[in-house]
Amino acid sequence: MNRRWKYLPQYLAIAPFFVLFAVFGVYPVVYSLWLSLQRWNGVSEMKFVGLENFAFLLTDTAFWDAIGNTLIIWVMSTIPMLVLSMLVALGLNSSVRHKDFLRVAYFLPNVTSIVAMSLVFGSFFSNEFGVLNWFLGLIGVDPVQWLNDPWAIRVAISLMIIWRWTGYNAIILLAGLQALPQDVYEAAKLDGAGPVQTFFRVTLPLLRPVILFSVVMSAIGGLQIFTESQILLGDRGGPEGAGMTMVLYFYNTAFADNDFGYGAAIAWGIFVVVVLFSILNWRLVQRPARVNGGGK
Amino acid sequence: MTLTRRRFLTGAAALGATALGTTACTSPTTANPGKITLWYSTNGLSEKVLGEAVRRFPAQNLTPSKVSGELNRRLLAALSGEAYLPDITMLGDGISTYFSATDRFADLTALGARQDESRYLPWKWQAGRSPDGFQLGFPIDTGPAALYYRHDLFAEAGLPSEPDAVAAALSSWDDYFEFAKRVKEKLPGRYLITDTKMVFTYSLAQEKQKYLDRQNRYLDDQSQVRRAWDRAVKAFQLGLTAGYAGSAAGEGVDRRAAWTNGKEVAFVNASWITGNLKQSAPGTSGQWHVCQAPGGPGNQGGSFLAITKYCPDPQGAYDVVKWLMSPENQASTYLELGLFPSSPAVYSDPKVLAPEEFFGGQATIGVFGEIAEKVQPVYFSPWDITISDTYTDELTNVEAAGKDPDQAWQDARTAVERLLRRQGVLA
Repeated sequence: MNRRWKYLPQYLAIAPFFVLFAVFGVYPVVYSLWLSLQRWNGVSEMKFVGLENFAFLLTDTAFWDAIGNTLIIWVMSTIPMLVLSMLVALGLNSSVRHKDFLRVAYFLPNVTSIVAMSLVFGSFFSNEFGVLNWFLGLIGVDPVQWLNDPWAIRVAISLMIIWRWTGYNAIILLAGLQALPQDVYEAAKLDGAGPVQTFFRVTLPLLRPVILFSVVMSAIGGLQIFTESQILLGDRGGPEGAGMTMVLYFYNTAFADNDFGYGAAIAWGIFVVVVLFSILNWRLVQRPARVNGGGK
Repeated sequence: MTLTRRRFLTGAAALGATALGTTACTSPTTANPGKITLWYSTNGLSEKVLGEAVRRFPAQNLTPSKVSGELNRRLLAALSGEAYLPDITMLGDGISTYFSATDRFADLTALGARQDESRYLPWKWQAGRSPDGFQLGFPIDTGPAALYYRHDLFAEAGLPSEPDAVAAALSSWDDYFEFAKRVKEKLPGRYLITDTKMVFTYSLAQEKQKYLDRQNRYLDDQSQVRRAWDRAVKAFQLGLTAGYAGSAAGEGVDRRAAWTNGKEVAFVNASWITGNLKQSAPGTSGQWHVCQAPGGPGNQGGSFLAITKYCPDPQGAYDVVKWLMSPENQASTYLELGLFPSSPAVYSDPKVLAPEEFFGGQATIGVFGEIAEKVQPVYFSPWDITISDTYTDELTNVEAAGKDPDQAWQDARTAVERLLRRQGVLA
């Protein structure tokens, strides 16, 4: 009795997190599993349908297409974004003027209001009167049907993601760069390494944990791509559903079509994809770094 | 007493526990107990009229509350939690979703709605009634569809340009396509059809039936859908559709630009687009007219007011609803927000019959009113929005991505049938 109550203040101190987590984390998860076994429009009686929703999900081409779209857009946005943010970070790390101003400027897209973004990008990508097509016209390129052509749509969404997240990742990489020990660089200099060699042989390997962090973070973000698609193309993902991502499909089914049971089943489908992806990610991260000339 | 860490933590924990304890299990059923809360969406009701209602009905303690974003979503959340519910709420054209849950609402017939029925458009009144006769919705506005056109450009092409002459020349969709071809020859690069979606939506809006019957059974005969589909595909194959990207609900940048620069010479749309048109293309003021749409009268959109069963004073609430939707107030709401009245008495109200500068001196309510009175009653099922989105998505694939129309039709049919099987409508 005495022992049990001895730690009460400590338990109470950590309780708020667990209470909130139970209410906003555990309960919705459990409830959504229950919901995925029902047919429910949000207002009338729920009807238990067993695994029917999951049977539909497995044969739902729209869902498989959404998984494909999500992965395509993720790859199309993450790779250029990481290269760009690396360049930006290197630039900011070298002695440029107005460093603080530039850091803020690069970070600004990440905190810009999404509504403002929607207005700007809608005009930016507009087929006939868009800024981008006007610019392409200036350099003699034919206008692109940014919001009609399936691949152009994916490029447009990727560009929005790149715009939004390059600065954020650059700041993270910059922090990583600034934490690197200077003596390795001095040693490299003494050994006569040029700037390119230094970058690939010294900076990049040392930065590996930070880059992995960025990759993992953008994988988390990438599997949840939603806002950009929805802003640009609406709830249904545009022509050929090219911008229909997993989360957008879930949102559209549950909250636009009021099909909450199937929506919950889609959410669990997304969960499975995320788990598979996490395993993949984990194995990549766990793989020991290859050392030059090193075997087993 | 010094503040030690232990004391601080105990105190904080105790405070937290008290806060949790007092708020738990006390959420009220309605949003403002003792008052009548009315939920409406932005520009869904006139704030001027609402303000007057608050003063006029002191006993009801009316509290209008504007819901930003999706009202329907918030209503569903409140209904499933049975907490913070409105006493009176707006419902959109998806009202049939709530027909399966009429036990959560008050039957307006029991509150004396029979006497008021005759003052409203019969088809609109019927749209607010469930198949088993529960009067759930009180009509707010309607969306009669007309042809909007640039009379100056029609005249320039040497074609009829006065509303009656245009309406007479364009009685069917085929006439309209022929006409569009002639305009295109005379004025290249200009369009009379926004996209395939416009043709499909408004063609289907003119039919007696859509997808399901009033008992929510899938109609064996979907020929009206096929008719609308074929028309839309034909317009595309004739090269008559502009196909602006993102033209859904007229939100696209390209379409707004096309209004301003005269590329969009004419289009069919429900009356609610007028505000959008005026705002997007102020420079074209005076050059527009409206007339009967090709293919006949049709309606698209429109809302209702409903009273929830949680309302402590349904009769008082009904009096408010009735007053808010009186012909006089519908007339002033029309002038303020352009919500098209569901009460035909308004159509001859001198207040709304003034010539409109934007429409070249035409009093458009005459045209829209005539259409509204001729609309046929049609059942709008809980799945209609999803089904028509499925068809128009496939039409967009044909129009924007070059998909084979037959394949697109097959895919749309398969998707619709899968949806209805999942919903238990089809076995």
